[in-house]
Amino acid sequence: MDLNKLKKRPSFPIETIAVAVSFSPNCQFILTEAKRLTDALEASLLLLHIGDKTTAKEKELDEQMANVGIDPNQSRVIWMDGEPVDTILKLCKLNIVDLLILGALEKENILKFYMGSIARNISRKAKCSVLLLTNPSEQPQKFKKIVVNGVENPKTIHTINTSLYLAKKIKAKELIVVNEINIIGLAMALSDSSTAPQTKEIKKNITDESEETLQSILNKLDNGEVKVSDKIIKGKPGYAISKFAKDKKADLLVINSPDTHLNVFDRIFTHDIEYILAKLPCNLLIVHSRL
Amino acid sequence: MIKLAHNELIVLLLSISAMLIISRIFAELGKKFKLPIVMGELIVGIILGPTILGMINPELFNFLFPRTGNIPIALDGIFSLSVIMLLFVAGMEVQLSLVLKQGKVAVYTSMFSMIIPFFTGFAVAWFFPEIFSISNEHGPKLLFALFFGTALSISALPVIARILMDMNLFKTNIGMVIIASAMFNDLIGWLIFSVILSMTNHSQTDHLSLGYTIMYIIGFGLFMLTIGKKIIDKTLPWMQTKLSWPGGVLSISLGICLLSAAFTEAINIHAILGAFIAGIAFGDSVHLREQAREIIHQFVTNFFAPLFFVSIGLKVNFIENFDPLIVAIVLILAFLGKVIGATIGARLGGMSKNNSIAVGFGMNARGAMEIILGTLALNAGLISKPIFVALVIMALVTSLTSGPLMKKFID
Repeated sequence: MDLNKLKKRPSFPIETIAVAVSFSPNCQFILTEAKRLTDALEASLLLLHIGDKTTAKEKELDEQMANVGIDPNQSRVIWMDGEPVDTILKLCKLNIVDLLILGALEKENILKFYMGSIARNISRKAKCSVLLLTNPSEQPQKFKKIVVNGVENPKTIHTINTSLYLAKKIKAKELIVVNEINIIGLAMALSDSSTAPQTKEIKKNITDESEETLQSILNKLDNGEVKVSDKIIKGKPGYAISKFAKDKKADLLVINSPDTHLNVFDRIFTHDIEYILAKLPCNLLIVHSRL
Repeated sequence: MIKLAHNELIVLLLSISAMLIISRIFAELGKKFKLPIVMGELIVGIILGPTILGMINPELFNFLFPRTGNIPIALDGIFSLSVIMLLFVAGMEVQLSLVLKQGKVAVYTSMFSMIIPFFTGFAVAWFFPEIFSISNEHGPKLLFALFFGTALSISALPVIARILMDMNLFKTNIGMVIIASAMFNDLIGWLIFSVILSMTNHSQTDHLSLGYTIMYIIGFGLFMLTIGKKIIDKTLPWMQTKLSWPGGVLSISLGICLLSAAFTEAINIHAILGAFIAGIAFGDSVHLREQAREIIHQFVTNFFAPLFFVSIGLKVNFIENFDPLIVAIVLILAFLGKVIGATIGARLGGMSKNNSIAVGFGMNARGAMEIILGTLALNAGLISKPIFVALVIMALVTSLTSGPLMKKFID
């Protein structure tokens, strides 16, 4: 495995797409979405199945691939035994996968959420971008409206650029870059000795600063046909953008990959991505900028 | 039921209005010189209390704040309620997820900024109890050493938040690390302090073994921060939409705070812990509207806080109980332990040398939290008045110097 190829590899262009095949009822729909994205991004497709390779399964996969129009000569299928999360992550690294597509439930049951389901655990650990499809269907969904997290973080510029690249390729109509403001302790700091105009001004300055930072990024973008706008929202990071995406009926929410290694405590004392994974508001793309 | 007499009610109302109005005037004056509001409130207490008014005009002092009858009982009730409310709003700003989010640097900073001052304070109190006029018997010495270590290791989130806001550091990495670490310090500090208070009560009442008390504290904390928090999270949207706004959420949140405080008091843990933990469970909810948070803060900070901090000056004569040696020792230990501890933590967490020192000075602000801790310890008989005065002075000096010293080192 040449990990040097993986390190600092940009998050786009997306050249290799992998899709996890689980033979679930949604499997064919996920393959349909994978095929659509592979075509749009002119990428190569890799199908991964973790489990026994049996004749029956091989036959079923061949049928599903034929149904959705995946050319066996232009794609590869990898069968491997092992623990699903680690094996998929290992295969993604070995094959320099840029985007991994997985099917995921909107909401897991409470026990499964805290224990960690396969799709969500991969999302937390992956070293490549991950697309979680919540509601794949026979008719490929078009990602018309994309909401992107514009949080102040070194990864964000890569996430926004990747989103715009994707939006152009899949001909999305609208891309909204959202920054969430949540100043912890602000209410406490303002409560004792600030006058009403001072409080108003401090709050306005905070919003203006975030707006300016976001604008400075957006002004440098080549939007093409995509309508790009920005929005500042208040609330806890992760939860606020998730609610915004749901309210806006977004087709895809794009966020940065987690900054730290997440474990069960991050689910108990929920923050950021864990709010989104707790209840997916729509399809979710986690961009790994490999910084 | 015992009732306040007509005259007693008038005196009670007069004393409360004097505390509120004069402390507001001093707070506004202090603002002009960028002094923390708590300093103005303490000065008012000193002016209205035995230190100045009691010396100049004892008749007026005894008229406004009589030591016998029903008025002191009524005032004590109000002061107890005030400290419970203060701990509730302090808890409301604690977001444990922030410590997890900030990762290694916040964990190291909070750990070292607690451990080093705690052991410094504990060791000095344990090996040199005579400095503080503490008996050399094992029991009182251990309780005092534990308390002194805790008193040196806590931080004051409200002061820190204000300093970071004034320096426009709220959204920076350094600001987030300081806030996250101060939150963690507060949580652990109040948990330890509750155990110490329980130990003090235990030695007095012998109702509950210490093991059970610690088990109850941990159990209560875990319950409130997991299941309790989830229940609050589920019901808050309903409260905020179906009940009258903002009255509904205000009365329910304060009701939950008092219920939780009553529960911890009933199981022989001080009421403050219940209020503090209820604050965390409530304030951490994603559904709590910004406006509701602000209203609760405003109500507590501008009504209960002045009453509580003014009351401190009413109880203690600051001139009589000023011991320069104790003040100097407390100040030196407080600065050394906290600044060195937090600096080492931030440095180990990967921050630059200068920023680590800035974090150290940022974490050094003790402010109102230290004064609350000291007052409760004084009331519980854990510390003497000279030590209490030294802690109050330390809280003010560390709060006043924190911002300017941070500024000197920040990259």
